[in-house]
Amino acid sequence: MKTFPFKYHKTSDYLDYFNPKDWFNFLLEELNPVYSISKTRAKIISIHLETKETKTLVLRVNKKVFRFQPGQYIPVTVEINGKRVTRYYSISSMPSEKNLRITVKRQKQGLVSNFVHENLQLGDFVELGEAQGSFVLPKTLPGKFLFVAGGSGITPVYSILKTLQNQNYIGSVKLLYFSRTKEEIIFYSELNSLSKKFPSLAVEFILTDEDSMGFKTGFFSREMLLELVPDFSDRLTYLCGPGSLQESVKSIIPKEKLISENFQPFLKNSIKKDSKQVEVTLTKSHRTILLNGEKNLLEELEDNGVFPQSGCRMGICHTCACTKKSGVVTNLQEGSESESGEETIQLCLSRAEENLELDI
Amino acid sequence: MNTKSKPLTKEEIENFGKELEIIRTEVLAKVGQEDADHIRKVQATYRYNEIMGRLLIHFSMDPITFALGTSMLGISKIINNMEIGHNVMHGQYDWMNDPDFNSNTFEWDIVSDSSQWKFYHNYMHHTYTNVVGKDHDYGYHFTRLSEEQDWKPVHLFQSIANFFLAFNFEWGVGGHGYKVEYLEKPKKQRTKKTLQEYKEVYNKKIELQLFKDYIVFPLLGGFMAPKIMLGNLLANTMRNLWTYSIIFCGHFTENAETFTPKDIENETKAEWYLRQLKGSSNLEGSKLFYLMSGHLSHQIEHHMFPDIPAARYEEIAPRLKALCEEYGQHYNTGSFVKQFASVWKRIFAFSLPDPYAEKLMAA
Repeated sequence: MKTFPFKYHKTSDYLDYFNPKDWFNFLLEELNPVYSISKTRAKIISIHLETKETKTLVLRVNKKVFRFQPGQYIPVTVEINGKRVTRYYSISSMPSEKNLRITVKRQKQGLVSNFVHENLQLGDFVELGEAQGSFVLPKTLPGKFLFVAGGSGITPVYSILKTLQNQNYIGSVKLLYFSRTKEEIIFYSELNSLSKKFPSLAVEFILTDEDSMGFKTGFFSREMLLELVPDFSDRLTYLCGPGSLQESVKSIIPKEKLISENFQPFLKNSIKKDSKQVEVTLTKSHRTILLNGEKNLLEELEDNGVFPQSGCRMGICHTCACTKKSGVVTNLQEGSESESGEETIQLCLSRAEENLELDI
Repeated sequence: MNTKSKPLTKEEIENFGKELEIIRTEVLAKVGQEDADHIRKVQATYRYNEIMGRLLIHFSMDPITFALGTSMLGISKIINNMEIGHNVMHGQYDWMNDPDFNSNTFEWDIVSDSSQWKFYHNYMHHTYTNVVGKDHDYGYHFTRLSEEQDWKPVHLFQSIANFFLAFNFEWGVGGHGYKVEYLEKPKKQRTKKTLQEYKEVYNKKIELQLFKDYIVFPLLGGFMAPKIMLGNLLANTMRNLWTYSIIFCGHFTENAETFTPKDIENETKAEWYLRQLKGSSNLEGSKLFYLMSGHLSHQIEHHMFPDIPAARYEEIAPRLKALCEEYGQHYNTGSFVKQFASVWKRIFAFSLPDPYAEKLMAA
């Protein structure tokens, strides 16, 4: 019988609302942030400079078991000037290692990468999310592998290579690792040591911007591939690197034999400002709409028959505030561009600049 | 409507607006770590007070400990309602990307449903502030406070009704929500049809609150259930009285002006700013008073900049005051006692038909 107190709620609703775990967690976190039972936090116990622009953070996670597969990435959240900002970083350690490692390359205008390089110290905490990604080893390992990595794309590859070595993989593993200069090669000595104790692995360091003794020079091409890996069509290929490398490899190696990962899914230069349409995916409504990117999102959505909650339509009441999961918008009131990650935006003030995901 | 402010030309109004935009941009640029730290500290204070309050109520064996527990729980509810709830739901802390302080998901510890409140407050009240007939908060459908509202015999009893409302304010805040949503929700955004359907949303929140304070916590005390029920009731009442008093001082003081729908036709942003100033009134006090009022002590600043983290209103106030002086505009402020007394004067005066109401107001 539906009567108070169960006319509108089930017991589980009450448990969700009271959330005793959250109150208990509050007290724990007041004692020490690392005691948190609801958040995965990691303490920075070591920092290494791999190259001038790349740092590895060694993290001690507050959970006994932190599951991930080699090649996957994790969301890392830091607080920059009061704002929680999240970025995804590939894990460069393998699951059997005691501590988690992420290797962060400084991006020119990168908010978080610069924060990591300039501000994070030993003993600081970061928040972690669940490991994700499909750049992983298959259940049954093939007889031969080819890894093509460019720049910081080596990070997930390194995790996978260490894992293969750890599992005593006996097939053939070839790595073509492209870097601009010798100084910019990440994990240079580590990869050399790894190939010494891992006979199946052959590493080729290729420089694109300079000539150096003992290194090949050039960009990825069919000729280079045929020269270095003539049996490439027999190999399962893993590709991780910048857009230009991706394009070259994808034009030669067929889709069925290729697993790739791009660190910047929404390349700014691939969608120009004056290009007509942008795709806006509404995750809660399960639909995707094409918008023009000319007026604010609220008006354009309404033009397309979608009527999100709205109010004053002038940026004051926040009724139209919703979560933008990804993509860049321009704040028409401030004239500034947002970041590409997850944040709250007001639809009446935002204009789409590239493909977006909105949680409405 | 009499006004204490100098009439301004259209150009002067636009300049006034421009100055305010400058203040807004400058203050927003400063928002960051300090504000995040502030709201987190307030959140921790709220949590500790609730934990200690409930524990003391539960374990108290004497009236003093009981009173202390009730007070602490009352204080926690006030903080949750005012400095945290009202401000978080305005979106003041959305930029933090912290799910604990997100206006979309925050649910406060009163019978009012957050989503219904956000509609009538953030949108209706802040857009149509003090426009009689459009701002349903002006009198809450039962209190006459200005000549623009027609007098009805029932208004004679509004002083008593308000006295009663003060002790039960959360019910007023909650009940107002479903009615205004039903009346004003734009057709294309409507997800419900009848008044009863909107009321069900409110009923659902009521069930949650009643179950919490009057079933669950009392039951945890076994045979002491009645004592705990009383403690929780007193804490809720304490919060109700406080919030009623602070909120009524926001727009119902003696010199707070009202407007008609005609007044706001083709209103520019600058004119909107001016209306916010004229329709709002501040309270003077200590920093602690400001905090406990959720910074609604700075009602004027809040109405000009509802989405700036409220603690910043304290630094905006002197600049705003100076700007108002420069433009000959009345900056309505006073002590809590003076402002609250003027609210009651207004409630009593307008409970009578117009000629008497005006006479009393002039006194």
